[in-house]
Amino acid sequence: MTAPQATPDSLDDLAGEYVLGTLSAQARREVQARLTHDAALRAAVTRWEERLLPLTNLSSPVDPSAGLWPRITRTLDGKHSQHQPSAVRRGPGLWDSLRFWRSLAAGGMAAALILGSTLALRPATVPGTPQYVVVLVAPQSQAPGWVVQAQAGQNTVQLVPLAATEVPPDRALEFWTKADGWAGPVSLGLVKPGEPVRIPLDKLPPLEPNQLFELTLEPKTGSPIGKPTGPIQFIGRAVKML
Amino acid sequence: MPNRLAPDFDYEAALKACAAGRRPALEALYRQEGPRLLGVAQRLLRDRAWAEDIVHDAFVKIWNQAGSFDAGRGSGRGWVYSITRNLALNALRDTARETGVDEDTAAALDARDAIEAWHDTRDAFDWRASAGQIGPCLEQLEPVRRNCVLHAYVEGLSHSEIAQRLGAPLGTVKAWIKRSLQALKECLA
Repeated sequence: MTAPQATPDSLDDLAGEYVLGTLSAQARREVQARLTHDAALRAAVTRWEERLLPLTNLSSPVDPSAGLWPRITRTLDGKHSQHQPSAVRRGPGLWDSLRFWRSLAAGGMAAALILGSTLALRPATVPGTPQYVVVLVAPQSQAPGWVVQAQAGQNTVQLVPLAATEVPPDRALEFWTKADGWAGPVSLGLVKPGEPVRIPLDKLPPLEPNQLFELTLEPKTGSPIGKPTGPIQFIGRAVKML
Repeated sequence: MPNRLAPDFDYEAALKACAAGRRPALEALYRQEGPRLLGVAQRLLRDRAWAEDIVHDAFVKIWNQAGSFDAGRGSGRGWVYSITRNLALNALRDTARETGVDEDTAAALDARDAIEAWHDTRDAFDWRASAGQIGPCLEQLEPVRRNCVLHAYVEGLSHSEIAQRLGAPLGTVKAWIKRSLQALKECLA
């Protein structure tokens, strides 16, 4: 292979696939880094953007919710603390996002503190039965919001609030879990903010280490499609207690 | 078609006004293109709230970077769409929803599937009415190749997701897309 990136054709192929959207996350980052200093690539990308632009007409317009423009102006006015790109904070794939879990690890100190206090307070357990604790933290601030406790033999989990959770009047908090091998998250029902609740895990397999739990904002009666549709409010993984 | 563009909207002037700090220009751009940009983002991400986050981030970025827009390099409208599409595609790829499709697809599918996929002449998209000047060039592609291009651009599907959707080997899909882009480029030249 003789420096394939040097030929005009391969540069244009790269630009075309970039604009088409087929490049992997890593390849996209590489192209975006190169665009800051590579004028030829930048020109090729712009040409492809113009060529393919008419295809955006194939997506039907969707009226933005009434709150979107005010939200944009609030951000521009700096009423939020530092602007953070909100789109990276969640999405359907967050369950599997390594990047997200790495970022959560940074919040491990808060989680460890909570875990420590929970350990100190926990009731005596039957020796030999594994017990799990999950600290659910807010994705952005990583502030702990809820603790999930589960004792293997009992097939229920207890969800305990640690802080006030604000939920808009027309929305509800829905509780979900997903173990590593499962195809998707399973709903554990709606949860009232600020109230502890004990939830049976009737038909679910026994809890596993690393099993995910999350609370998402959903319509009043819960997600209409049986999968999370709204933003994640709190999320965490099950940790086995010794 | 509902929501036709105001034909005389001056994108370059709007971006220039944004660069000068004039907020009404950004709002005019939002009224003009917000629904279409949200439509594009939602089609890519298949999630309404996530798409609104992207449009939010796009308008913040448009405002903050309007000064770097260079009318000599491309259209203002194209720039606005590229910002939005890139934010959406980055978010989509970064969440890495891809399962082991690559190996599974490669292993499970053989050349016969490729031929069957090739003979699938149905259009997956109603593209004729709205594709504009790229329409005649799309027309020249075989339907299966056209579908590859549209699955990628409109729906944000990766190579392996397209392979799975079409029931075609991954390598074949990559080759189809590469050649389709070359054909489109020549046709539009």
